[in-house]
Amino acid sequence: MKITNIQKVTELRTSLKAIFLFSFLTLAPSYFSQGEGLFKAKCATCHAVFKNGTGPKLYEARKRWDDAGEGELIYEWVRNNAALRASGKSSRANEIFQEYKGSVMSVFADLTDDQITSIFDWVDAQDPNAQAAGGPNIAAVSGVEMEEEKGLPWIWIVMGVMFSIIIMAVGGVRRQLKIATKESDEDSEGLTYVEEFKTWAWKYRLYVGLTTLVLVLSLVVGFFQTLYSINLMESYQPSQPIAFPHDVHAGVNGIDCKYCHNSVTKSKSAGLPTVNVCMNCHKKIDGEGKEYQGEINKIYAAAGWDPSRGPSGEYTNETKPIVWNKVHNLPDHVYFNHSQHVVVGGLDCKQCHGDMAKLKELAKVQPHQELNKIQENIDSKIEFDRATMTMGWCIQCHEQSSINITDGKSGYYAEIHNRLKENDYNLLNQYNEDGRVSVKELGGWECSKCHY
Amino acid sequence: MNKKFNLNMGLSFLMLLALMVSCSSNPDSAGTEYMPDMYRSPAIETYVDYGEIRGRENKEIKTKLSARQTPKYTVPYYGTEGSEVQMMLPNKRKAGVAWRESHGLFGWDLNAESAYDKARLDTVNPLTMTPENAETILKNGEKLYTSMCAHCHGEKGDGNGTMIQSGAYGDLGVVPAYKDLDTLSEGKIYYSIYYGKGYMGAHGSLLNKKEIWTLVHYVRQFQRDGYGKFEDVAEVESAEESAE
Repeated sequence: MKITNIQKVTELRTSLKAIFLFSFLTLAPSYFSQGEGLFKAKCATCHAVFKNGTGPKLYEARKRWDDAGEGELIYEWVRNNAALRASGKSSRANEIFQEYKGSVMSVFADLTDDQITSIFDWVDAQDPNAQAAGGPNIAAVSGVEMEEEKGLPWIWIVMGVMFSIIIMAVGGVRRQLKIATKESDEDSEGLTYVEEFKTWAWKYRLYVGLTTLVLVLSLVVGFFQTLYSINLMESYQPSQPIAFPHDVHAGVNGIDCKYCHNSVTKSKSAGLPTVNVCMNCHKKIDGEGKEYQGEINKIYAAAGWDPSRGPSGEYTNETKPIVWNKVHNLPDHVYFNHSQHVVVGGLDCKQCHGDMAKLKELAKVQPHQELNKIQENIDSKIEFDRATMTMGWCIQCHEQSSINITDGKSGYYAEIHNRLKENDYNLLNQYNEDGRVSVKELGGWECSKCHY
Repeated sequence: MNKKFNLNMGLSFLMLLALMVSCSSNPDSAGTEYMPDMYRSPAIETYVDYGEIRGRENKEIKTKLSARQTPKYTVPYYGTEGSEVQMMLPNKRKAGVAWRESHGLFGWDLNAESAYDKARLDTVNPLTMTPENAETILKNGEKLYTSMCAHCHGEKGDGNGTMIQSGAYGDLGVVPAYKDLDTLSEGKIYYSIYYGKGYMGAHGSLLNKKEIWTLVHYVRQFQRDGYGKFEDVAEVESAEESAE
């Protein structure tokens, strides 16, 4: 009885979808939720409702089988697709198999006809217009503007030269006019520019003196400021080939930094994700119709993935590297190892890189003032007053941070602890005098630790 | 006559210089460096574009290098003990050609047919869990799980991770709870992680084989109560013995 009810309603569906949905929900809520439950438990890992993925979309799948004249066989297909293909009864079965390049669907031998119908009923009752509302609510990601900054100083110089020529030309003309008309002051008659300037400067000596003082002072200050700003990387934010929003990935979606920066626990370098890692998620998350779709398309271009080919995308074999610009760059004479800091030191990424989960713009070298606001740094009593990525900044943290020397988390400090206990107990006591052991005390200020 | 202009010219140039110095807040510029050739040096470093060193351009390799996967068949030297080398060798069961498209196994070694079904026969985790190492394995597993799996599978393995909660996948793919997958063999779990399964992508390039087997242990612990808790079992057994 239940089934016939449903079938009647299904006929109405095409014309009165809203009414159908309402009546369906009120008539057989348990049946409806059975379909949803089964779909989520059995199908959803490979099939989506409206979109081809690992398997074809299920929306109106039944209709497509009906159109092929094999509507009854879909039940056999769901239960055991390999057997159906082998039996040769169905041409559609082999078509799908070919279309998906021999990707084998799992066998669901224990599903009854009722259950399969309930799945398709639930799927077909979904509203195709509602899917646009899905997806995370991501604020617009600002595109990377490639400014031609290199050309700017030259424009200034050219403009400056032009201005000075104009000023001098005008001055020259004025002087010539003065001489010609002989209307100039008697004092300045026959004087050179320098002499003229001297008289003028003496006349207004107070103002000239003050202005000169201010000018000289500002030049001196500017000179030293320039010197002190050499090699400061703070706020360095190079443009990137893809406007990657860290706040969406690490913040909204809660992906751990270590998922993409995979070698951070194993290597000197934190590592950039290879394109296949991006594709792990972005093969499905294509941002269709969203403002950031263009950025995701850049991943596809790099991976050589064409989502429009085949049932759900195919590789074109034309790959292209994504050349990221390195943000945190240390010179060759500095050795820095990420794994030592993350695994042994147990630092959180944000203690040095700032809270990337909240960073809407491109990655940048966070100013030390920002790092001082990070909770982990406050908790560990680390307060920087040196610029990020400078040596002062490094050793400041090495002095301020405390080590839990007895904790055998990685075995590194425990080993040092054991050696100290056995060889030089006094030294250990000396370290512990202020109630804590710092990285500095264990050699964090040794030149050769980082420079060799 | 020319000499007379010197002062004016000199002043205007000084002003210009001051102007140029004051405008250096270009985010694309790393600022003035003491030793630029030590920042972009010919020495081999990660993620450096060697297409341009000291102004010399090599068009052959310029902007051709980006992040790369670990070379095939490499076994990490550190962290791999002699007894574990066997485990780190290339997988005997390979994914099928269809998986190239469906799971992004571009450039991987693939067979015509997927060996996933045959993986049901692999019921033994080569990373043997003993009462001594159980705690370490599960602790390492937890660390790996938190960074590699939890954002989709959820911290408790219920399939409700932050990626699902945020709706990033929209109406695509629902992540099943591990509890519902407890009939899977060890091998199937391993191959699902290595080559991907359903909507899940391949993680063979992110995790080495030992790490995947560690995760298999950790996943089992969601499925079976008391998995990896040897002490309790031993205590119960000894209690039974003493009772007898």
